[in-house]
Amino acid sequence: MLICENYHVPKSLEEALRLWGDAPDGSRLVSGATDILPWAREGRAGDVEVPALIDVTKIPDLKGYTCQTGRIRLGAATVYQDFLTDRTLMTNLPCMPYCAIWFADDQIREQATVVGNLVNASPVADGTPPVVALNGEIELARLSGGSVQRRSVPVVDFIEGPGRTVIQPGEIATAVTVDSAYGYGGSFQKVGQRRSLVISVACCAALVRADSTGAVFEDVRLALGGVGPRPIRIRDAERRLKGERITRDLIKQVAQTAADEVGSRSRKDYRRDVVVNFVRAGLEEALANQPEIGAKFKNFGETENA
Amino acid sequence: MPKIDLTMDVNGRKVAKQTEPHKRLLDFLREDLNLTGTKEGCGAGECGTCSVFVDGKLVKSCLMPAAKADGAKIETIEGLAKPGSLTPLQQAFHKTGASQCGYCIPGMVMAATSALRENPSAGIEEIKERLGGNICRCTGYTKIFEAVEIARDVIAGKLPETALDEDATGDSFIGANVRRLDAPSKVSGRLKYAADIKMVDMLQMQVLRAPMPHARIVSIDTSEAEAMDGVACVITADDVPGTDGFGVFVHDQPVMARGKVRHFGEAVAAVAAEDLVTARRALAKIKVEYEELPGIYAPEDALVDGAPVIHDYAQDNVIKHIPIRKGDIDKGFAEADLILEDVFTTQQVEHAYLEPEAGIAYVDHDDVVTVLSPSQNITHHRHMLADILALPINKVRFIMSAVGGGFGGKEDMIYQGMLALAAMKTHRPVQLTFTREESLVASAKRHPSKVHYKMGMKRSGEITAIEFDMLSDGGAYGMSSEGVMRKAAILSCGPYEVHNLKVDTTVVYTNNTPSGAFRTFGGMQAQFATESMMDMAAEALDMDPFELRRINMMKIGARTHTQQELTTASLDRVLDAAEEASRWETGAPRMRGGQRQDLGGPDTRRPCTLGARIGDAADTETKDERVAS
Ligand SMILES: Cc1cc2nc3c(=O)[nH]c(=O)nc-3n(C[C@H](O)[C@H](O)[C@H](O)COP(=O)(O)OP(=O)(O)OC[C@H]3O[C@@H](n4cnc5c(N)ncnc54)[C@H](O)[C@@H]3O)c2cc1C
Ligand code: FES
Ligand code: FES
Repeated sequence: MLICENYHVPKSLEEALRLWGDAPDGSRLVSGATDILPWAREGRAGDVEVPALIDVTKIPDLKGYTCQTGRIRLGAATVYQDFLTDRTLMTNLPCMPYCAIWFADDQIREQATVVGNLVNASPVADGTPPVVALNGEIELARLSGGSVQRRSVPVVDFIEGPGRTVIQPGEIATAVTVDSAYGYGGSFQKVGQRRSLVISVACCAALVRADSTGAVFEDVRLALGGVGPRPIRIRDAERRLKGERITRDLIKQVAQTAADEVGSRSRKDYRRDVVVNFVRAGLEEALANQPEIGAKFKNFGETENA
Repeated sequence: MPKIDLTMDVNGRKVAKQTEPHKRLLDFLREDLNLTGTKEGCGAGECGTCSVFVDGKLVKSCLMPAAKADGAKIETIEGLAKPGSLTPLQQAFHKTGASQCGYCIPGMVMAATSALRENPSAGIEEIKERLGGNICRCTGYTKIFEAVEIARDVIAGKLPETALDEDATGDSFIGANVRRLDAPSKVSGRLKYAADIKMVDMLQMQVLRAPMPHARIVSIDTSEAEAMDGVACVITADDVPGTDGFGVFVHDQPVMARGKVRHFGEAVAAVAAEDLVTARRALAKIKVEYEELPGIYAPEDALVDGAPVIHDYAQDNVIKHIPIRKGDIDKGFAEADLILEDVFTTQQVEHAYLEPEAGIAYVDHDDVVTVLSPSQNITHHRHMLADILALPINKVRFIMSAVGGGFGGKEDMIYQGMLALAAMKTHRPVQLTFTREESLVASAKRHPSKVHYKMGMKRSGEITAIEFDMLSDGGAYGMSSEGVMRKAAILSCGPYEVHNLKVDTTVVYTNNTPSGAFRTFGGMQAQFATESMMDMAAEALDMDPFELRRINMMKIGARTHTQQELTTASLDRVLDAAEEASRWETGAPRMRGGQRQDLGGPDTRRPCTLGARIGDAADTETKDERVAS
C-alpha cells in the first residue's frame, strides 16, 4: 500500500521543480503510477509511507510531442498507447508500435509513460531497446538560481544498472528525443509467459532501411533488452550489415554473434538462443515491414522455426 | 490524516468529495461513492476487474491515484445503461452465458465496451487483443468473445436486435442456450460480493502473517498496537474460547498460529481498526519473537527417520494413506509380456479465482455470531466455528455471499474464525478483504504429487497388472487432503479394467503452503500419470493409442478398481467422439510434430499474435506525416 501525506498536481514545470526541490526525503515523482503503485505491495516494497507524491502529467510542457529536424521530442507525458493511435508517431518511429502492442495491455498503455519506463530502469523494460535504437536522449530539467536548466543524456548512458540512472536530486525528466526513422521498417521481438501483461524475459528492437531496390542494407539499428543490466545497442552487428547485400545467410551469421551480448546470470543458455533468433526474426520482420520496399523480402524471407 | 478535495463527473453526475490523498481511483469509487461494480481482483494491474473509463479512455483504476482523476469524466459499469436496462453488450453477455461467477464480468463488459467504442467493426483478433488485460478464470473466454461479436453486429445493424433475445427452447433444455437467472446482476455490476458490502460502524481487519515456514512462537506483544488510536482490538490464538481447530477431515488447523507456525504466511495475529490504513500501521507494531525450527519442504523428506514433526498428533507426518488392493499383482506381472515403469510428477497450482477471500462478521441483536463470506462449505464451517467459539449451534450463523470463483479453494475456513473473534471482542461488524498476495500465500493449493507407476501388459495390449504409488505434498495442514487422496486412489488407474492392482496414495505434512480441494480433487494428478502411461505403452507396443484404450476400457459388467460392478459405461462413445473431433491419424504414435497430418486443423489453437490493428493503420498511411530531416 502506498500512503502519502500529500499528492501534488503541479500545473507548470517551475512549480513542479520547486515542489520537487523542497519535497521532504522519501517523496516521489509520479507519471502513470503503473510502476510505483504495484511496487508498494506485499512481496516487493510492502507498505510505503511517503511525505509527498508529485504528479507531473498535468504540466503542459510535458504533454504532446514536437518535430524538429530529423528528431522528435516526446514530452514526458507521452504514453505507450500514443504509438498505436498517432499516425505521425507510428510512421516516424516504426519500431514503437510493435513495442507498444506487446507492452502491458491497452489500458495500462493509456497511463504508462516512456519516461517512467526509462527512469524505472528495469533491465527488462520494453521501452529501452527501441528508444536506444532510435538514438534516444532523455532531457532532464532542474532549477538553478530560480531558472530552469536542462541537460540531455543519451539513454544508453542514462541507465546505469537495475533501478539506477544518472538522474540527480531535484531533476525531473521532461522529454525523450529520438530520431525520426521515416521510411525504415521496424520490429520488436518479445518473449514472456503470455501475450498481454507480461514482463519480457528478453526483447529486441530492430530498424532497417534497405536501398530503393530492396537489395542492400542502407541502415540497420539493433538493440536488446532483458539480457544485461544496461541497455545494449549491437553496433558490431549493425556495422557488419550496413552496405551489404541482403541475404538470409548474412542475417543468420550476424544474428549468431548476438549471443555473446547476453550478460544475464540466470537462464543464460536460453537467453543466448532467444537472442540469436530475435536478431534474425527482428531483421527479417523489419525488412518486411519497410513501407514500399519491404514486400520484396518476402521472396526469400521464409523463416525457419518461426 | 490529511485530506484533498476532488471533483469529478461520475456517470453523468457531478461529485465533489474530500478524501485521503493516497486513495486510488478504485478506492474512491468503491469506498467514497459506493460504486462497487468496479472490483479489486489484484490491485496490481494484472486482472482488469477494476476497469473504468477516465475521459473516455479505459484504464485500470487500481493503478490510478484518485487525485489524478480530479476534474475528469468517469464512467463505471453502473453508468453504462439506465437503471433497469442493459446495453446491447450486457444483453449479449446475458444471452451467451458469458458470466459465470461474475467477478470479472463488470471489467470484462467495460473492456468490451471500450473495444467496440474504439473500433465498432473490430474483428475477433482485435477484440481478443483489446480484452487482453482482463482475466476470466471461469468461462474460458469463448462465450465472452461470442457475446462481443453478437453485440458488435447488433450495434452495427448487421444483426437484428432479436439476436440478443433468449434462444427458444423446445421440450428440453438440454442443448439449448438457457439464460442464467443471475446474469443481469453480474453484467450490470449490481451483485454484491462480500468485499462490496458495507455495514454501519464497520471495522477493517488486517492479518499479521508468518515470515518463515516453521517456527516456535516465543512471544507475541500486541500492547503497542492495541494502544494505537483507531485500533478496536488485536486478536491472537489466545482469544479462542473453545476447542481451536478446523479442517475438512482432521481439525488440525488453529484459527491463528497457536504456539508455532507451520507455513509461510500463516496468520499469527489480526487487528480490527477504524480504517484500513490504521489496521496496516498497527500490524507493524505487533512484536513477535520466533525461534526457527528445521522444516520439511519435500514430501519424501517427511517420511525419513528423524524428520522434524510438524503436528504432534502425527509423529510420522502422514496425513492419510489410502490403499486399494484387487487381484494379485505378482501373478499379473508374471503374465505380462512387457512391463513399463515410470515416475510422473505434477506441481502445486493456485486456483486464482478472481475474487480474493473476503468476509464480514457481526454479533446480531440475539447474540448470534454471524459470518458472511464466499465459503464453499457453510454448514460444515458453522459446526466447526460453534466448537471453536464454544457456542451452541443456534448462536452461530453462516451466510454464503456470492462466490467470485472458488474451484475448491474456498472450502477452508481460513479467515472466518478471526472475523468472528474480532466481532465478539468489539461487538461491531468487522470486514476482512484479502489482497491478491495474501490469497496466494494463505489459501490452499492443488496437491503437488509424484506417482511411481508400474504397468504390465500383454502383446495384445491387455493390461495385466498395475502398481500405482502416489506421494502427495499436503503442506502444513490437512484441509481436504484425505478426500483428495481417496479420489486419487479411486480414479488412479483410469477408466480401464485392471484385474490385478495395488494402489497406494499417501499425503504427508510439510512446511509448504497447505494443499486442499481443487477441481478434480486428486483425479487430475492420477489421470496425468495413467493417460501418459497409456500413450507410452501404445508407443512401446506399436499400437494405436485409441485402440489400446478400447482394449482395456471398462464396459458394462466391469469391476472398478474398488470392485463396484458397472451397470452403465460410456467410454466407448467418449473415445469415438474424441477420435473424430481430433481428426486422429490412426496408427501407432511413431512420429510427432510437423509430420503428423492431424495437427494444425481448423479448430486447433494458433500461436499468439498481436498487432492486427498495426497492419490496418499501415494500409492507410499517408506521406505528409514525414518529419523533415
Ligand atoms: C500489469 C503491468 C504490466 C506491465 N507490462 C509492462 C511491459 O509489458 N513492459 C514494460 O516495460 N513495463 C511494463 N510494466 C511496467 C510499467 O507499466 C512501465 O515501466 C511504465 O512505462 C512506467 O511508466 P509510468 O509512467 O507508469 O511510471 P511511474 O510508475 O509513474 O514512475 C516510474 C518511476 O519513474 C519515476 N518518474 C516518473 N516520471 C518521472 C519524471 N518525469 N522524471 C523523473 N522521474 C520520473 C517515478 O518516481 C518512478 O520511480 C507493466 C506494469 C504493470 C502494472
Ligand atoms: S487490474 Fe486492477 S484490480 Fe486487477
Ligand atoms: S466469470 Fe469470469 S472470473 Fe468468474
